[in-house]
Amino acid sequence: MSEREAGADRPKRTRIELLVRAETGDDFQTREVPSASAYLESRPQRIPVGDYELARLPTSIQGTTAYVLKNRRTEDYLMLTEQETFLWEQMDGRASLQEIATAYVLRYGAFDFEAIPVLISKLRRAELLIMRPASRLREVLARNQRNPAARAAEAALHALERLTVKSRRSHDVFARMYRYGGFLLFSPAAVLVLAVLVVLGARSAVELWSDSGEVTKGFAGHALVAILLVKLCFWLTVVSHQLVHALACVHYKRRVREFGFTMLHGFIPTFYVDVTDIFMASRRARIVNALSGPLVHLFLAALYLWTASFPGPGLLKAFLATSAILQLQSFFISLYPFCFLEMDGYHILVDLIGFPTLNHDSVRFMRESLGPHLMRRARWTRQEIACVAYFVLSLLSVAGFVLLNLWVIVHAIRS
Amino acid sequence: MASRPDVAFLRQVPIFKDVDEQVLIALWPSLRERRLRKGEVIFREGDPGDELFVIFSGSVVVSKPVTGRVEQVLNRLGQGEVFGEMSVFGDEQKRSATIQADTDAVLLGLRRDSLYRLIESSPKDAAKFFLEMVRFTFKRLRDTSDLVAEVTRWGLEATGLDVEHR
Repeated sequence: MSEREAGADRPKRTRIELLVRAETGDDFQTREVPSASAYLESRPQRIPVGDYELARLPTSIQGTTAYVLKNRRTEDYLMLTEQETFLWEQMDGRASLQEIATAYVLRYGAFDFEAIPVLISKLRRAELLIMRPASRLREVLARNQRNPAARAAEAALHALERLTVKSRRSHDVFARMYRYGGFLLFSPAAVLVLAVLVVLGARSAVELWSDSGEVTKGFAGHALVAILLVKLCFWLTVVSHQLVHALACVHYKRRVREFGFTMLHGFIPTFYVDVTDIFMASRRARIVNALSGPLVHLFLAALYLWTASFPGPGLLKAFLATSAILQLQSFFISLYPFCFLEMDGYHILVDLIGFPTLNHDSVRFMRESLGPHLMRRARWTRQEIACVAYFVLSLLSVAGFVLLNLWVIVHAIRS
Repeated sequence: MASRPDVAFLRQVPIFKDVDEQVLIALWPSLRERRLRKGEVIFREGDPGDELFVIFSGSVVVSKPVTGRVEQVLNRLGQGEVFGEMSVFGDEQKRSATIQADTDAVLLGLRRDSLYRLIESSPKDAAKFFLEMVRFTFKRLRDTSDLVAEVTRWGLEATGLDVEHR
């Protein structure tokens, strides 16, 4: 039963032999049941209606529609294509896979025979969204396991990653924070306060710019303290960024799945909040959620700049001005979508163009498909144009960012 | 068994192949013939038993109940093959599976006391008998573990369970 088919890589489908007795007497029949036919005759049953939620995403740049399927009990999310959603809707426990496949052919005119097994695997796994991005560093280390240095680095990263502290019951805390004042952040008054503060901050920035020499002198003699203070304060504002994301999630009546502290990629200490549930809300909600975090940095930058205009030259003024610059930098970096990092701006961009896997697909396209595509001189689809544009813009942006920083360092050393 | 000893047949039976001809001739009258019609059950799982059987002609199906009227076929045995030895030599004198005739069949049954007489009368031949019995038991064990793996694979394929990526 287990021998391989001639010339094929896959082993033969297995069969089991069953004996079925007659209702009376000793008579019996034996039947061979191939696993494939058992599979086709199985009748997948989706979980009860109240236990899942299906949300339609806007039509994408490719002209296709995607859906997000949420398991309310486990809080797992699955992104489905329109065809997969059709298959999901057939899985009512009454239709066999064979009947589902037939219904698919009648609806779409063709059938990919891998579609059902792939979908079933996805549905069974049902943990497709991981908030902490997979580390490319870990991938490289895993590929070099024979190297003792790589093994040591892997062990160190593993130890650091265990420093993760998280709570899956944080939603109630955020809901209370929202109830006791957090809701004000999403009111017109908050927008007005932010606008006024930005104007005040901009005016102060102009004044401080003209006295930049005086401002930087404030660090003289306190360089180490100043750096530590600025870094510490900035790191704490990351909590505010995450906090506001969580409040935005509550504002749109979605669930905050997790809040915690972790070593991102094993070496970047950071706070994080899992707001995956916002995918089940409207596009407006998703965009507001993504924008809310960076706006914290804009608010703090404007506040620092404005308050920096009051004290006289000294450590406090220098601290406020430097912190404002860091906050502004964070604001722009968070919102800038073209940098291969999937930050808030990236999420807004992919939501607007309806291409949720843009980063991943663009890197894969450039690595695997661009060459053959150019050789074939094939026509460019909108999706391919988006991939190339994203990749090129991101590459230029990263190069520009590195060059700018080099220029700043060189300029600082010379002066 | 009343007919003339069929030593040539007994030589084809693995557990008797090295046993001395005189001993086989002496054993022959102890073998009880049992004729079966197609579909007839010889014994069921859990039945008491103290007899092993050699298939003289025809074939039998070995099965184990799964659910309701459905049983899983564990093996098919043909001429010269042996079954029922587990309740003769095993720690439990109960049948471990159900056996039914797949075709009209003739079996030769050998009871525990007859076997013990063989052991006492000819220890040298008994050793040869048991050596083959051990080999035969190992083969059954290998077949069973292969079947377990096969049934597991069947289950994975039939349910589409993607264990590698779970």
